[in-house]
Amino acid sequence: MVFAKELKQALMNSNNSSFNDETCMMMLNMFDKTKTGRVDVFGFSALWTFLQQWRAVFQQFDRDRSGSINSNEMHQALSQMGYNLSPQFIQELVNRYSARGVNRVLQLDRFIQVCTQLQSMTQAFREKDTAMTGNVRMSYEDFLSGAITRLM
Amino acid sequence: MAYHNQYRPPHYNSAPPDQGFLWNIFQRVDKDRSGAISDTELQQALSNGTWTPFNPVTVRSIISMFDRENKGGVNFNEFAGVWKYISDWQNIFRTYDKDNSGFIDKNELKQALTGFGEFVIIVIFYDSQNHRQCCLFLFFNPLLTDVFRRYDTDQDGWIQVSYEQYLSMVFNVV
Repeated sequence: MVFAKELKQALMNSNNSSFNDETCMMMLNMFDKTKTGRVDVFGFSALWTFLQQWRAVFQQFDRDRSGSINSNEMHQALSQMGYNLSPQFIQELVNRYSARGVNRVLQLDRFIQVCTQLQSMTQAFREKDTAMTGNVRMSYEDFLSGAITRLM
Repeated sequence: MAYHNQYRPPHYNSAPPDQGFLWNIFQRVDKDRSGAISDTELQQALSNGTWTPFNPVTVRSIISMFDRENKGGVNFNEFAGVWKYISDWQNIFRTYDKDNSGFIDKNELKQALTGFGEFVIIVIFYDSQNHRQCCLFLFFNPLLTDVFRRYDTDQDGWIQVSYEQYLSMVFNVV
């Protein structure tokens, strides 16, 4: 059984910082099938595969081999994944999620966090935008329930 | 109106605590003696048995609500607000935790939701034994409500947004 604390200790970024709390919690939630706050051996196997896949993507787009992804590299990564987002938005996203006190770049943990949340938020948006217009009308409750999904 | 002012816990108003008592607590929480309590210091304080542990997103929401100078922490005056806010919500939590288990189960939650008459969010967090628990995630509302309000120009509880605007709202990028 792997606990949140152990997970955090086991996972590190290329700059030797440990994975941030949000990413650890997010992955635990995703792979904790027993709903007990820990991951069993099957869940861990799936989590590990998940990590390796994202690490491969990360390395593919870390063109300058800096060990981190900047706004340009993020734009290319997201385009490749099929997202159509403005450079300004991506810049703001990278700024917002980069670790405090460092350059505006994403380490692996935050890269995984942003990409995974982008996926679920896009899914939430698509469910409302049935006509595929790129615009939705939503109520306050719609908005809040979409945001909860992001946390869980 | 689809939402209410959520900066104050509804139906509850506790008496302000003794200043000396509060200062004592503040000093203990402000471990590096910087004069302000950071996210990390608050989270550690909340994990040390006084209250059940809070998740970092919750801690960030609380600090940003009371941090008037955008300094990434709260000074003593602001901390008084934090303390009251958490105590008020904790007392409401206890009101709905009928069996005193320390958690609110589905039935208790149903009553709580009806009681508040406004949107309450559940979040999952882990306690010190790493058991997954559910807690009324009452602190997150104000930030999201704020973001929503900015787009709801006619204040009718509905907005029209593009894909990127929606993402910005949820990521709190804007």
